[in-house]
Amino acid sequence: MAWTVAARRNEITEGKPKITVVNGKEIGVFHEGGAYYAVLNYCPHFGAPVCLGKVMGRIIASGPDSLDYDNDHKTLRCPWHHWEFDLATGAALAPIRQRLKTYPVAVEGDNILVDI
Amino acid sequence: MIIDCDVHHNQRNKDDWLNYLREPYKSEVARYGLRQLASGIRYEEGGNRWDLVPPSGLSPGGDPDFVREQLLDRYGTRFALLSGYTGPVAGMPDPDYVHAVCQAFNDFSLDVWCRADERFKIGLQVPATQDPQLAAREIERLGEHPGVIAVCIAGTASRIPFGQRYYWPLYEAAERYNLPLHFHPSTTSVLAGLGTTPAGMANTYLEMHTCLPQFYMAYLASFIFEGVFERFPGLRVAFVEGGVTWLPHLLWRMDKEFKALRQQAPYLKRLPSEYIKDHVRLTTQPIEEPKKAEHLVQLFNMIDGDEVLMYASDYPHFDFDEPTALPRQLGETTLRRILHDNACAFFNLPAAPAGEAMK
Repeated sequence: MAWTVAARRNEITEGKPKITVVNGKEIGVFHEGGAYYAVLNYCPHFGAPVCLGKVMGRIIASGPDSLDYDNDHKTLRCPWHHWEFDLATGAALAPIRQRLKTYPVAVEGDNILVDI
Repeated sequence: MIIDCDVHHNQRNKDDWLNYLREPYKSEVARYGLRQLASGIRYEEGGNRWDLVPPSGLSPGGDPDFVREQLLDRYGTRFALLSGYTGPVAGMPDPDYVHAVCQAFNDFSLDVWCRADERFKIGLQVPATQDPQLAAREIERLGEHPGVIAVCIAGTASRIPFGQRYYWPLYEAAERYNLPLHFHPSTTSVLAGLGTTPAGMANTYLEMHTCLPQFYMAYLASFIFEGVFERFPGLRVAFVEGGVTWLPHLLWRMDKEFKALRQQAPYLKRLPSEYIKDHVRLTTQPIEEPKKAEHLVQLFNMIDGDEVLMYASDYPHFDFDEPTALPRQLGETTLRRILHDNACAFFNLPAAPAGEAMK
């Protein structure tokens, strides 16, 4: 693991991650809801470029008759089969083990660093 | 080498193919738009993959050059069966309107897609449920075109089970032109049938899409028990986008029931399950994904999957399967048959050039 500059702040806007190769790994660096995230560009389902998917909130429910929308926790959905993953932790929203690989992110001045 | 049995081509721009529509419908649609019949359930982003907007800015699945690059060239596809989309016709009333829409879409497909690349083949759109005799006329109009390899039927939108005599004029024409039937779910436009599932109107796309094979189970039983394959010994039927693992149950149950109730289908000369190899194929997508791949292999073996299954990608839809979605444990020979050989024979396509490497 090593902290490496992966992007400049002005390269990323909401909905437009930067796809880049850092230390041999293709990752997406996201800026969503005021926070930065870094994710390996590989879906554990069938290997699709997951970072080309969409970031959105998530529909939640405390029971079958009480739906709500959580826009605080960002969800990354794969462009192929639309599986949902938590952008911060990489965990799938469905109760399964497969998850995205995520990396710690830090901001220093105009640089966004990723620990890969 | 791949033959892909289900690729959804689209118009290049909004209403592109409507230029092929004849009057009086052309004026009607220009003024009022296409007639609408919908299921009332949410489905996301048109059900497409999200990485498929062509650089040209045309619709997903709407740019022959982009589909050639992203699908045919990438996967080594020898032929792709273009099945279009069923929304404008599935379950619609008014046979004359549906017939005209089908004709326009077929002319567009041959003109724009089959000319763009000879690997693109089409299934004819026909007013199958609305007027099987008109459907037969469309088969007679275009059935000999080298770009036509099947007859597409919007399944899940029928009022009458598909084995019944009502449809036989269509089946007679399909057999005469040696064109297999290609049953595809009609996604959201199924109000005219029993509902979006055989049980009624589902509240979600999730439930509707899960239940699609239930329609196919009922159709296959109808085809067999009505004696369609005795009446039309050359007729072949593909069930597309229903997955595969429902088949063993249906075959075993049909055989068991038939042994006791043969008098209700006395024209059958074989056990129900024995008609499958000669007449019926399933496409693999969306392939079931059990926790253990070996379970899928066992199920394939139960139905002689190396003979009755054919690969389909469903490009550009969200539940797209790459060829690698099939379990490797099936072995090279079975995979080659499912990915290529079975469809090559079923759709009467030219054999692969001698010496071409199998991948």
